[in-house]
Amino acid sequence: MPRTAVATDAAGLGRARAGGFVAPALVLVGLFLVFPALWTIYLGLTDYRLTGLAAAAPKMVGLQNFRDALADRFFLNSLWLTLIYVAGSAIIGQTVLGFALAWMMQKVRPSVRGVVETVVLLAWLLPGSVVSFLWWAMLNRRDGTLNALLDTPGYNWLIQHPMLSIIVFNTWRGTAFSMMLFSAALQAVPPSQLESARMAGANGAQQFRDVVFPHIRGHVLTNTLLISLWTFNDFSPYLLTAGGPNHKSEILPAFIYNRAIGTGELGYGAAISLIMLVINLIIALLYLTLLRTRKVKT
Amino acid sequence: MARIILDTLSKQYPNGVLAVDALDLTIADGEFFALLGPSGCGKTTLLRTVAGLENATGGRLLSDDRDVTHLPPGKRDIAMVFQDYALFPHMDVADNIAYPLRIRGEHRTQRRAKALETGTGLGLENLMDRRPGQLSGGQQQRVALARAMACQPSVFLFDEPLSNLDARLRLEARTFLKKLQKDLGVTTIFVTHDQAEALAMADRMAVMELGKIRQVGTPAEVFHRPANTFVANFIGSAPMNLLAGETADDGLRIGGFTVPFPHDSPRLPPGTPVTLGARPEYVDVVGTSTPGAMAGTVTIVEYLGATALVSVQIGDERVPDGADPVLGLTVQAMVAEGTEPQIGARIGVTHQPNRSLLYAADTGDLVSGTGSGTGSGTGSGIPGSTAATVSTTP
Repeated sequence: MPRTAVATDAAGLGRARAGGFVAPALVLVGLFLVFPALWTIYLGLTDYRLTGLAAAAPKMVGLQNFRDALADRFFLNSLWLTLIYVAGSAIIGQTVLGFALAWMMQKVRPSVRGVVETVVLLAWLLPGSVVSFLWWAMLNRRDGTLNALLDTPGYNWLIQHPMLSIIVFNTWRGTAFSMMLFSAALQAVPPSQLESARMAGANGAQQFRDVVFPHIRGHVLTNTLLISLWTFNDFSPYLLTAGGPNHKSEILPAFIYNRAIGTGELGYGAAISLIMLVINLIIALLYLTLLRTRKVKT
Repeated sequence: MARIILDTLSKQYPNGVLAVDALDLTIADGEFFALLGPSGCGKTTLLRTVAGLENATGGRLLSDDRDVTHLPPGKRDIAMVFQDYALFPHMDVADNIAYPLRIRGEHRTQRRAKALETGTGLGLENLMDRRPGQLSGGQQQRVALARAMACQPSVFLFDEPLSNLDARLRLEARTFLKKLQKDLGVTTIFVTHDQAEALAMADRMAVMELGKIRQVGTPAEVFHRPANTFVANFIGSAPMNLLAGETADDGLRIGGFTVPFPHDSPRLPPGTPVTLGARPEYVDVVGTSTPGAMAGTVTIVEYLGATALVSVQIGDERVPDGADPVLGLTVQAMVAEGTEPQIGARIGVTHQPNRSLLYAADTGDLVSGTGSGTGSGTGSGIPGSTAATVSTTP
C-alpha cells in the first residue's frame, strides 16, 4: 500500500501520529510549566498585589520591580544568606559528608553498610515537612531533644543560630544523595590502579589524589551541580524558621514567599523569582562548561 | 636483585578459606619463576601476598635476608605488573612510567628524563605524550613494564602477563618478556594458568592446587616427570593418558591387556593398583596383534596441523550403539600428519616404556624412579611397598 507521507522515523509513525502520542504530555507541560513561567514574567512587570486596588487592576510598571530589588537591602541580604546556605549545606555539608560516608562504607562489613545506607537514605526519602517537624522537635526550646542531650534547657537554637540550624538540617536531609552517587563512583575505580599506587608506595592521600579523584571528578561536578540547584531552590527551611528571626535566615525562597504571600506583593515576588531562575541558569551553565572542558581534556 | 624465601607462608581469608597453605619455597636470585595452576589454586593470592597487597596470616617471607612479611607494599622493593596493566588513564605515558619516582619525591624534569630513558629501552620513545587509552594492548603492557622497571626494584611480579593480549601478540610478548627478564637479570615471579606459557618462559616453576605446591622443578622436569597425577594431567598441550590398572608378574594389566612396565618402575607386589601415565606424544599406533599393545576402536581424530590427536576406545568390542564413547578407557595418541587412522578403525596402541611413568592409584603420587629432585610428592602412596618404591627396577 503506497503512502503519500513517507514516515522517516524508526517506528514508521510519521509526524502526525507521533505528534499525537506526545500531545498529552506537551499539554501538561504547557499548562503547568510553560504557562506559569510566562505568567511569572508577566507578573514581574506589574504592580500586582494580593489585595487592594492593584489586585483588581494591576498596572504595568516595566522594570521597576527589578530596580527595586537591586536597591532592596532585604533582597541583597537574602541573596547573601542563600549563598551561605548553598555553600554550607550543599557544597560543604552534603558533598563532603556524603563523600566521607561513601569512602568509609567501602571498607565496612556489608551488614553495617546496609544499615547505614538505609538510615541515611531514609532521611532523604522523608517529605520535607516531616523532616522539618523532626528537626523542630530536635531543636525546640522547651523539651527539645538537643537541649536534653546537651543539658541546656531553654536554649533556643532556631533563634540563636538560625542559619546554622537550617544548614545542619539540610545537610542531614540531603547527604544520602551524595553518598549514593559517590558510592557508585568509588566502586568504578579499578582496584588494580589503587594497588598499583600502593605498590609504588603511595599513601592514602596520594592514592586519593592520583587515582580516586581523577576517576570521580565528573561525578563530583554532576553532584555539586544537582545539589546546588536543589538547595538554592529549597523552601523547607521556611518550615523551621520562617526566614526569621528578623530576616536572619531569610533565604531567597523564603524571601519570595514572605513578600509575595506574606505582604502580598505578587508582582515584586514574581520579579525576584525571575532573578532566581536566571541565577539557576548561570550556575547550570557554569558547571556544564566545566564538565565539558574536563571531557575535552581526557 | 634478591632471593625470595617463603617460610611456611600462609594466607587464610576471614571466611576461613586457606588460599596459601604453609608454603616453603626458595626462588633464586635472577630466576624467572612461574606459579602455575588452575583457577582458585591460590597462585594469585600467593603473588599478592609476596607483593604485600594481602597480609600473610602465617609464616615468613624473606627477600634476601630481610624479613618483609609485614612491610607495606611500597617498602618491599618489589614492583608488580597487573593483569589489566592498571595504567592511570588520566596521565600520559611518561607520567605513568615515572609515577613511582613521583611518589619518591623526585623532581619533575628528572622524572621525565628517567621515564624517557626507561621507555626508550622498551620502544616507547615516540609514545611518551599519549594517554593509555590511545595505546594498543601490547604497548600498554610495555608501559606497565616500564613503570615497574623505573624504580629498579629487586623483584618483579607479573600477574597473568599475557592474558590480556590476543593470541598472536601473546607469542611475541612471551619471547619479549623472557629476553627482557634475562637482560635485566631481576628475580621475577609470574602467575599463569596456561601451562604452555609456564613451560616456555620459566626457569623453574611451581604447580599449585588448593593452596599447596604439588611440584617444583624446571619445565623439563615437570613435563617429563610429573610428581603426581594432578601435575601429569595439568601439564602438556594434550593431557597425559592416565590409565588405571594393576601390577602383575609380566607387566601391567590394563583393560584386559597386559602392557610392559615403565622402565624405572619399582618392583611391586602383583595385584597392586596403579595408574600408568603416558603422554599422547609417546604413545605409538601399531597393529592390533602387536605384543604389548592395547587394541581398540578409533573414536575421534583431532587435526592439529603437523600432528593429529587420535582417541582410541580400548576394548575388543566396538562401542555398543547408544553408549557414550568418551566413557570407559580411552587412550590418546599423537601421530604425525597424514598417518592418522580412520574413525572406526581397529588399531593397537603401545606406550614407550622409557617415557612413561607409574603412579600410585590411591594417592596419585609418582612411584617410578627415585630422587627425581622435585622435592614434592612425598610418601610412597602404596601401603606395604615403601621399600619397593625406593629401589629402582630397570
